[in-house]
Amino acid sequence: MLVLFETAAGYAIFKVLDESKLQQVDSLYKEFETPEKANKIVKLKHFEKFQDTTEALAAATALVEGKIGKSLKKALKKIVAKEAHEQLAISDAKLGGVIKEKLDLSCVHSPAVAELMRCIRSQMENLITGLPPREISAMSLGLAHSLSRYKLKFSPDKVDTMIVQAISLLDDLDKELNNYIMRCREWYGWHFPELGKVVTDNLAYCKTVRKIGDRTNVSSSDLSDLLPEEIEAEVKLAAEISMGTEVSEQDIGNIRHLCDQVIEITDYRAQLYDYLKNRMMAIAPNLTVMVGELVGARLISHAGSLLNLAKHPASTVQILGAEKALFRALKTRKDTPKYGLIYHASLVGQTTAKNKGKISRMLAAKASLAIRYDALGEDTNAEMGAENRAKLEARLRQLEEKGIRRISGTGKAMAKSDKYQHKSEVRMYDPSGDSTIPSTSKKRKFEEVEEEEEEEPVTPVVKMKKPKKEPVTEEEEAETSAAAEETPKKKKKKKKDKKADDETEEPKEEEEELAVTESSEKKKKKKKKKVKEEEEDDD
Amino acid sequence: MKPGFSPRGDRGGRGGRGGFGGGRGGFGDRGGFGDRGGRGGFRGGRGGGFRSPDGGGFRGRGGGRGTPRGRGGRGGRGGAGGRGGFGAGRKVLVEPHRHEGVFICRGKEDALVTKNMVVGDSVYGEKRISVEEGETKIEYRAWNPFRSKLAAAILGGVDQIHIKPGAKVMYLGAASGTTVSHVSDIVGPDGLVYAVEFSHRSGRDLLNVAKKRTNIIPIIEDARHPHKYRMLVGMVDVIFADVAQPDQTRIVALNAHNFLKNGGHFVISIKANCIDSTAAPEAVFAAEVKKMSAENMKPQEQLTLEPYERDHAVVVGIYRPPPKQKK
Repeated sequence: MLVLFETAAGYAIFKVLDESKLQQVDSLYKEFETPEKANKIVKLKHFEKFQDTTEALAAATALVEGKIGKSLKKALKKIVAKEAHEQLAISDAKLGGVIKEKLDLSCVHSPAVAELMRCIRSQMENLITGLPPREISAMSLGLAHSLSRYKLKFSPDKVDTMIVQAISLLDDLDKELNNYIMRCREWYGWHFPELGKVVTDNLAYCKTVRKIGDRTNVSSSDLSDLLPEEIEAEVKLAAEISMGTEVSEQDIGNIRHLCDQVIEITDYRAQLYDYLKNRMMAIAPNLTVMVGELVGARLISHAGSLLNLAKHPASTVQILGAEKALFRALKTRKDTPKYGLIYHASLVGQTTAKNKGKISRMLAAKASLAIRYDALGEDTNAEMGAENRAKLEARLRQLEEKGIRRISGTGKAMAKSDKYQHKSEVRMYDPSGDSTIPSTSKKRKFEEVEEEEEEEPVTPVVKMKKPKKEPVTEEEEAETSAAAEETPKKKKKKKKDKKADDETEEPKEEEEELAVTESSEKKKKKKKKKVKEEEEDDD
Repeated sequence: MKPGFSPRGDRGGRGGRGGFGGGRGGFGDRGGFGDRGGRGGFRGGRGGGFRSPDGGGFRGRGGGRGTPRGRGGRGGRGGAGGRGGFGAGRKVLVEPHRHEGVFICRGKEDALVTKNMVVGDSVYGEKRISVEEGETKIEYRAWNPFRSKLAAAILGGVDQIHIKPGAKVMYLGAASGTTVSHVSDIVGPDGLVYAVEFSHRSGRDLLNVAKKRTNIIPIIEDARHPHKYRMLVGMVDVIFADVAQPDQTRIVALNAHNFLKNGGHFVISIKANCIDSTAAPEAVFAAEVKKMSAENMKPQEQLTLEPYERDHAVVVGIYRPPPKQKK
């Protein structure tokens, strides 16, 4: 058996002298404890040294990708010529397959081989003769650096990085713009407070401020290109009776400069948005069609790259961005969130609150298909996304209009069953709902027991109550048996009439109140817990 | 437009520039300036909003921590020449730690330090202390336990770190190379550190650290596939893992099977939240330890990193322990 062992300095091909030793995997390492012993098991057959780092780099990249590099081919060809019948032990199964295909050498990869490789590695310096250890380490250092540089240089998701950075910048700009505008309004507000109320649009406000400067100039300046006529008139009116303070020329100069900044940033933002749109359409057209470029870009940014996003299941895509809520829900065993970033997609936005969860689930399912299509598919059109979007929209319409119109197919049958029926007589009153005591479900009882354990001071009160109402329930039973044939509705009326029954209801109500206070206490506790957790999170 | 609208003031940037031991800053050298939080998929950790945009695979650990804690309060003291802390002229005494290669600096406040291999160079903005012993001048670098789990483990009183001068170490989850630089200080010129990191963003910083320190071999590759870097790596004495992945024990085991010598040691830092966010941390640690035992990795010591990290544990153990001598 031959062994192919790759080092940073070159390819080493060993011949296994004693194959029987290979069978004992667990004790193989004992045979490699000293160089002498190791030399009895394996012998260096051939060492194909790399001439320089470029060759080593080429070989290493080929190996990482599971391909046969030039130098490996050369080394193997020499072996094939001599010992074609021998098996070749190899440490990467994928590479083994390729070698078998290309060079017709039978390759083996097994746990025993892995162990053998491990043993050879431990005695590498002694087994590979004619190569000083210093040289090996120098080669591996050089190779590691050039390989890493190569990896960084040809990073596959560099296009995605542009999107990730662009969307991040867009968010930053929005935040910063809002800050600037607030500052601008605040600052200029000291001089001309009325303007802020009259001109609500931020950009128009900044442009107006830049143009008029001191408010005494309002009457003389023409604002028609910035503001609608009626607002302009309003501004002019307000300027004459403004209650703002006087400010110096220098102050106005600075405010104007701030306005310039805002306008500039707004322009830049618009341009950046266009860029993002184009990039998204180029990289993930189907996703863009499904959820829009902003949400799409945020999804990509959240996952790191389009390829990473494609690896997420639809359920993850659905709640991407709601991690905090998700983990809180998982920890407290509550309901997990229904939507994350995808909430801002137009399809979810146009749905009524009741159907939002449903639509976001369906959208996530289709969107994740679209993502995979974009990331891994060959063609670059958005047909698939558009098709799915149309489907979703149809489904959305169907959901919204459910019950309003059903025309054909199964809908007809359902419509029939929906026909008006005289129901008023059939309605039954369910007596099990109005009492929380004895005859309730098991689960409820269990909860009560728990509560009793939790809050000991309360228990005596409950127990006090119990004997009191026992005779009452007996009475009730007697009465119900008497009026077995009567409808429950009537029975209720009767109850109200009877004086004795009044007594029965009072303790019941008390009981209920008690239960309510207990549960509210419990809720409070939970709330406290939540708050605590959040505090911890904030730490 | 409230009248009292106030500027946002400082955004809680990095904690400790001035004083020593600032805690993890908001956006330090770990992670870049991107808006996304944390590593691949959902393993979002805590920490500020400024983190590297490329998650996925594994990276060291997410971004910085939101608030500087602990000793960060001393920030901004700034001594002579803007250095602060152990400024020039301040009397400090450096004495060796129990662990070989690690030192303690006795000053106004004690600090963990390592001997700087590249004199005059600060890797991530940490403080440097020069000590003159006769003719020679030795420089030490402060090691912040809030930024490095290994330092936290040492200060927490771990019995053995197995990383010592001359050792060959494989460091999984090297991130930007902050702790790696200290490990490279410890092992010295005779040792070797194979620093494995998957994220390209932090790999860039790691590469820059490795450029100046020739005992670091940087590997930008997924630690789940050790066969991809098999030609670069020889046998190692210790594997240190800080990968914060649900399958991190498997990752360590895979690497140990390939590269860790018999009787070699492993040091694994476990973040309970990254493995199972719903279970109790203790249960998570116990389950991980059990997994290790199944992989022929015998845990010897477990330690929580309590004041420095929450719900973290460090497990130290031995791989393929030599069979006991028969009496």
